[in-house]
Amino acid sequence: MFGVYQIPFCVEAKGITIQVVSGNSLSTYTRISPGGKIAKQLGYGKGKVIINPVEPVNLPSEVTGMLEFHFTPVAVRPGSTITLYLKFPVEIGVFVGDDENYTLIDVFSLAKAKYSLYGTPEKGFITRHVECEVFESEPSTEPLEEGVLTLSLNNSSRDWIEVSRAVFEGSTMRLFYGNCVAMTGEMEVLSRAIAVTRIHNTGSKDAMKPAIRVYPTRKSLIPEKLFFVMEYGVGD
Amino acid sequence: MAFEYLNYALIGNVTLLDLIIFGIAVLLAVVIAKAVGFYLKKTFSDRVEMAELEFLIKVIQGLIIVIGIYLALPSFDINLADMLVVGGTIGLVIAFASQKIVSNFGSGLFLIIERPIKPGDSININSVSGTVEEIRVLSTIIKTHEGIYVRIPNEKVFSSDITNYVANVARRFEYTIGISYRSDAGKAIQIVKDLLEKESFVLRHPAPSVFVDTLGDSSVNLRVFIWAPSRVWWSVRTQMLWTIKKALEDGGIDIPFPQRVVTISRATRDAVPPHEGKEAEHHG
Repeated sequence: MFGVYQIPFCVEAKGITIQVVSGNSLSTYTRISPGGKIAKQLGYGKGKVIINPVEPVNLPSEVTGMLEFHFTPVAVRPGSTITLYLKFPVEIGVFVGDDENYTLIDVFSLAKAKYSLYGTPEKGFITRHVECEVFESEPSTEPLEEGVLTLSLNNSSRDWIEVSRAVFEGSTMRLFYGNCVAMTGEMEVLSRAIAVTRIHNTGSKDAMKPAIRVYPTRKSLIPEKLFFVMEYGVGD
Repeated sequence: MAFEYLNYALIGNVTLLDLIIFGIAVLLAVVIAKAVGFYLKKTFSDRVEMAELEFLIKVIQGLIIVIGIYLALPSFDINLADMLVVGGTIGLVIAFASQKIVSNFGSGLFLIIERPIKPGDSININSVSGTVEEIRVLSTIIKTHEGIYVRIPNEKVFSSDITNYVANVARRFEYTIGISYRSDAGKAIQIVKDLLEKESFVLRHPAPSVFVDTLGDSSVNLRVFIWAPSRVWWSVRTQMLWTIKKALEDGGIDIPFPQRVVTISRATRDAVPPHEGKEAEHHG
């Protein structure tokens, strides 16, 4: 389902139907999915529509831009680096536009969202919560439902540290898609309380395409962050 | 000369022409400030939160007007050093004469700097509850939940107890739900927990808490504590209670009306006289 489509088109997969019917000067966008149905008018009869996975922090509403992975605790040896694979829910974005100027017209997901609080109510962050297990190798996934984060976990402290949380900032996220949906990131654990997380601008495989992101389409003046500092612990 | 009267000195050396030039300069500064404000709003309304943008625009407009006045002052041929002395003295006089206004102004500045509240926040000040519409130089405008406009002087806002319901990113609310003594409290707790697990905005951490709180006159009272993001807590609060009620009923849990069982014992010869009969109460 992911890719670039020329109007008019109709695409179906996993109970999702997306179609754009063109008229003279307008066209009609319709999406039917298990979560509901939406219809919109587009102000042009010809052009392209891009469907790709987007940062999984937009649904059910824009309450937060943070994504928190909460996984089975992993004890990491001091000074060592290990690679973990974590699954995350996919949100599907539908964009219209051309060249560099895109706008999001629809976003939906087959996954159920859950929120959590990282830190304290006074200074913490509301996060999109992902409860997941840890995989040693890349697990198989259904791309319309789940993606895989390849996480390089580096314990740069002098102690053994049990890690069970990784929090990423929405503006840092870069998704890639092909046969699967993927992000690659790193987490440098500085102590039991502090870690730095980043998402890399590369897919897990060479053939993967970069997904158009929702964040730049908001044209926010707040600059994109390059990393996020977890200050409220890396464990339960 | 046709315009000779323009050079008449009105106050000291200040002529009518000076006053006109000063007026035009200030007017021009105001017009520029308005235009800049409109341009900023048009350009950045999609990119910056409206409350922040309004604040930014006000600061920039204020600066433009102050610069306009500063640039216009030479038309009065005024020595700025003298003006500082005179201005200071006048300021002192005005401050004494209008203590309330100055106090409101100072409080307004501190409100803007300390930011215990900001436009869009849901707050309670004294007995006024509502949403902050605007923080002005002298007063704060609140729109109550009934949609009523309330203006509170900044001095009063600053010296009052302020409750800001959305200052923290998450907040807790609670329900008390009574179930009948015949119903299984353990099952009821599980039903509520399962329901809270499914609801997106009920936070996973801190986890919701459901427990038997009190044994009431007519019911076993369950207490439910829920944390939700502050931005959506009200909609979650209003929606969840009815959802819980329906789920409990579907699960065969009774939510009883307040009730009292009255047992009247029939009087017999050997029993106590009727006027000494008693009513027994049992919890239902």
